[in-house]
Parts: sequence; C-alpha cells; structure tokens
Amino acid sequence: MIRIDKLSYSVGTFSLQEISLEVERGAYFVLLGPSGSGKTLFLECLCGLNQIDTGQISINSQEVTDREPRYRRVGYVPQDYALFPHLSVRENVAFGLKFGDQIDKEKKQTVDDLLGRFGIEKLADRLPLRLSGGEKQRTALARAIACRPDVLLLDEPVSALDEMTRNALCRDLKRFQSETGVTTIHVCHNFAEMLTVADRVGVIESGRLWQVAEPEELLRRPKNVRVAQFVQAGNLLPVSVIPRGDRVALRGAGGIDSEIVRPDWVQGEADAVLMIRPESICVGDVFAEQGSEETLSLDGTVADLIDMGAVVYLTVELADRVVLSVSLGKQAFLKAKPVSGDLLKLSVNKADLHLLPQEN
Amino acid sequence: MKLSLVSDSRPSVPVSGAGSRWFAFALFSVVVLFVGGWIVLIGADMAYTNWDSFVESLLSREIRAAAWLSLWTSLTTAVLGVLFAVPIGYALSRYRFPGHTLVDSIVDLPIIMPPLIIGLSLLVFFQTGMGEWLESIGLRFVFEKSGIVLCQFLASASFGIRALKLTFDGIDPRLEQVAMTLGCSRAGAFFRVALPMARRGIVVGAILVWTRAFGIFGPLMVFVGAVRMRTEVLPTSIYLEQSVGRIEAALAVGMLMLLLAIVGLVIIRRVGIGRS
Repeated sequence: MIRIDKLSYSVGTFSLQEISLEVERGAYFVLLGPSGSGKTLFLECLCGLNQIDTGQISINSQEVTDREPRYRRVGYVPQDYALFPHLSVRENVAFGLKFGDQIDKEKKQTVDDLLGRFGIEKLADRLPLRLSGGEKQRTALARAIACRPDVLLLDEPVSALDEMTRNALCRDLKRFQSETGVTTIHVCHNFAEMLTVADRVGVIESGRLWQVAEPEELLRRPKNVRVAQFVQAGNLLPVSVIPRGDRVALRGAGGIDSEIVRPDWVQGEADAVLMIRPESICVGDVFAEQGSEETLSLDGTVADLIDMGAVVYLTVELADRVVLSVSLGKQAFLKAKPVSGDLLKLSVNKADLHLLPQEN
Repeated sequence: MKLSLVSDSRPSVPVSGAGSRWFAFALFSVVVLFVGGWIVLIGADMAYTNWDSFVESLLSREIRAAAWLSLWTSLTTAVLGVLFAVPIGYALSRYRFPGHTLVDSIVDLPIIMPPLIIGLSLLVFFQTGMGEWLESIGLRFVFEKSGIVLCQFLASASFGIRALKLTFDGIDPRLEQVAMTLGCSRAGAFFRVALPMARRGIVVGAILVWTRAFGIFGPLMVFVGAVRMRTEVLPTSIYLEQSVGRIEAALAVGMLMLLLAIVGLVIIRRVGIGRS
C-alpha cells in the first residue's frame, strides 16, 4: 500500500498542497489532471527526485520520505521514456539489475523474459534512436519493472503515441498490471485512457487533489464543478434549490422545475449547479412507467446534430436559450430520427441528476 | 557534384529542389572561402620553403628536442584539462548556486584575455609569499619544463570546460534521475549515464585543449623563457629561427607543427570516438 499524508512541495510559484492519498496494494490508480496541474511533480516526489517540504510518504508500511530514490523500490517511466541513448534495448532493460543480488545467469534470464514478455526481443541490440514510440514505451516499461519494484509510476506513458497504439498499449498495461499485481500509479490527462486502466482515480488540479473515487463514481458523482468540468460532465445548469424535508426543489432556466432527493450539503436555500450527463438524457417519455415523480421532463428544439457512427450528438435548445448536449446511441437515434428544428420531449431519470454546490 | 544531406532515419538523403541547391551553394561558398584561404596560405609557405630545409629542421637536435617537449607537455596539458573540465563542466551545468554566473564568467576569462597576461600573472605570483613558499617545497615552475605545462593549462583549460559544459547541458538530466530510481547513487548516475554520453564532448574538449596548448607561445616566453634544449617548444623555435632571419627554417618548423597537429587530431578522434 502507498500512503501519502499531507504532502506539500513548492517550486517557484507553483505548489502541491497537502495531498493525502492511499493506494491499495495491487491497485491500478490513475491521477487525472490537466497540463500544469502538478501530476509530474507529484510522481517525482514519490520517486524521491524532489525532496518534499512537509508530509510523509510510506510504501508497503515503510516510510520512505527521506530515502534516496534508489532505496524506495519504485519503477519510474517518465513521459519521454528517458531511455539511455548510448545503450542498446537489452542494456537498457538490464540497467537496474547491475545493482541487484542476482547472479549473471539469472540477470540474463530476467532480461530475456522481459524482452519476450514485451515483444521486443528482436530489437534487443538496437539503440533507442531507432525505435518507434510504442517500442520505446515497452522498453522503458521493461526496464522499470526489471528490478521488481513495489510501485510502478507511469508519467503519461502513452500520451506521445497515436490513438490506435495508445488504446492497444493501455489494454496491455492493464493486463500486465493485473498479471503481476504491481501497485501502479499512472498519471494522465486523457479521460478515455483513465477509463481503460483505472481501478481508482484521483483528480488533481492547481496542485490540489480534489477527489478520489472509482471511475464510475467520478463520472456520475463528481464532488464539485471543477471536477465535473474536467470529467466532461457535459451539462452544468445553474439552478436555485429550496429544501423541502428530505427533498429539494429545483428551479432554473430552461424550464427546470422539479424535486429530487436532498443532498447532504444543501442546508438552506442556495444557488447550485445541476449536472446532467448527455448520455443520461432520453428522447421521449421513456421513464413514464416509473411515474413522473422520478423523471425530469424537458422540452426543446434540435439545434444541431453530429453523427459519429456509434453515437449521435444532439444540441438541443431549451426555453430561455439554455443549450443541452444529448448523446444518443445509434439504436435510440434511429428510433427517434430527430432532425434539426424538430421539437423534442426529453426525459432524465432523477437518479441520474447530480446537484453540485455553486462555486464562487 | 553529388551532394547529400545527413538524416536521422537514413545515413544521408540526396539534396533535391532548386531552393535546397541554392541554399547548399550559399553555405559551401563560405566553406570554400575559408578552407580555400587556408590551403592557399599553407601552399604559399610550402612554396617559400624547400624539402632540404624541412629535412634539416627535422634532423636538427634542437628542433627534435623542441618537438618532443611540445608533444609531451601539450598532451599532459590535454589530460589535465579534461580531468578539470569534466567535473567543472558538469558542476556548472547541473547545479545552481549563489555566484554561478560569476564562476561561469571567470572560467571564460582565459579565453578572452591575451595569453601573454597569463605568463606575466604567473611570474608575478611566484614572486609573492605564496609563490615563494610553493617553490620552497619543491614546486618549481619559473623557467622550468613544469612551468610550460602550467602555462599551457591555464591558457587552454577553459576551452575544455566550455566544451564539456555545453555537452552536459545537452544531456537530459532526466536520464540521470531515472538511473537513480533504478539503483544508482547520484555519483553512479554520473559515471554510468552522463559520462559515457559525454564521450564525444570529452574528445572535443581534449582536442580544443591540446591544440591550444600545442600552439601557445606568448606566456611561455615570459614565464619559462626560450632556452634551447631546456624550455624551447616548437612555437618558440619558430620565433627563435625567424628572429635570426632563418625564415625558411621557421616555416619548416611551422610545417612540422602542422603535420604533428593533423596526426594528433586523427589519433585523438580515433581513440576517443572509436566505433561511434
């Protein structure tokens, strides 16, 4: 298990602010954040490349806060892979084994196994300059795990690759992690990449860790507007909330007038943001059988339509010029067959609505 | 003429297109002007002197002693220069500290200042209390062969330091950081990653130090004098020969220096860069 307690680190005007985090042994944790949010700095602090200002870092119950990088038992794959250009692929993979206690025969066997496992045995004698992006990534990964680290730290490991290679390598990463059970922290800014690999995910922005959750929970229940925007929640509509016992009344532009279960944070009348994910919205009153009490109904006009093949994105204009993004699966789209200018009745299961506090 | 362009993916690619050819033509006009100028200059020297003078110079006891002294002092200086340039270049490249800019500038001073001043400064220093104390414990340099190495070192080490600093600047510190996560200490990362990667830079630094040391003359005249068979190096020989009107002999020594320099450069490149 990795336990990070109130980690703070400043460099220039930027700082990581009291980050606390626990990652279970064998988990695949993704730290998601935009460029410049402090993801790489955070990984460097875990590696010991940056000496943190305050806080504690423990790996498998051993406190490593003041340990040199070589004594932390971490495998680090930086964003640019940082392969040693003067060494062949084989020599790169074998680099860390020089410091271990394996005999030469075992080291050679370990390197051969890793070259085979990552499908780079035919490239063993090549210099990194002559490798493709995917080959470099595999070599860097093999090098990082050759010493059997307790933790694998991956800094945007597939961001420099084309989409096809990226998807394939993400699946490989996940499979490899499942097979070996090595605790992994993977840093990225790509939402789809996160969904492919993550058991749990943390959202970092401006040096602060805003939320840690399972991917599904992060999608459905972001903690605040900042996280909701980053996880591409889609529709964030301003509403007024009035508590009524264990429920709360919503009033807002676009014809929003409904009641939902009161979230804990709503203590009195307040301004809030209603989150409706585009894929939660249905065309027609498909939740009628559940009773209107459990459905939010909206009326609008189709303003725009983009057919992406498997999914069709609609832009629907509600009353008061409020714009709503709707994504329909191909089947649902063909059933409704809306075109620009059509009047549409939309419905959302209230269980899919999420109320967020309004931020200043 | 077949012209090709160095490429990352292939050994070379042919230059094609009128624009590219004109650009290459402009570049090579400057190359030809510079290299051609030197060839003409050397050609004029060779025309002025003759084979007999050249052979006579080579057979002269004084010139042979000066050549040997020039070679071993300049090579010693090159080794010393690299031994200083590697740690200084690395420290200036990787670390930031109060006074970094000042130290960086002081390192460059010998490149800017007239070499003669180095000889004068050394002469003055060895007349101070500290200088006299050094001589009293056996570290004698004034008018000694060891003084030649000291003079050459002070005049040329900066070129090596500059070359090595630029080399280390070009090596991504991230590589050493990764090496540290793989089991290296800070020093281990330097010796296993940065130093092997700086190999070409070390060779370039050694060449710069050696060539400068081999050709230096002014400070030697001041600090160690021009005593035949004792502190006479080849540049001193040229001065001594021309000062008594033996221009042909002076040019012959110049040709000998040129020959030794070419042989030396080829050897350093071969040994240093090797298969890469």
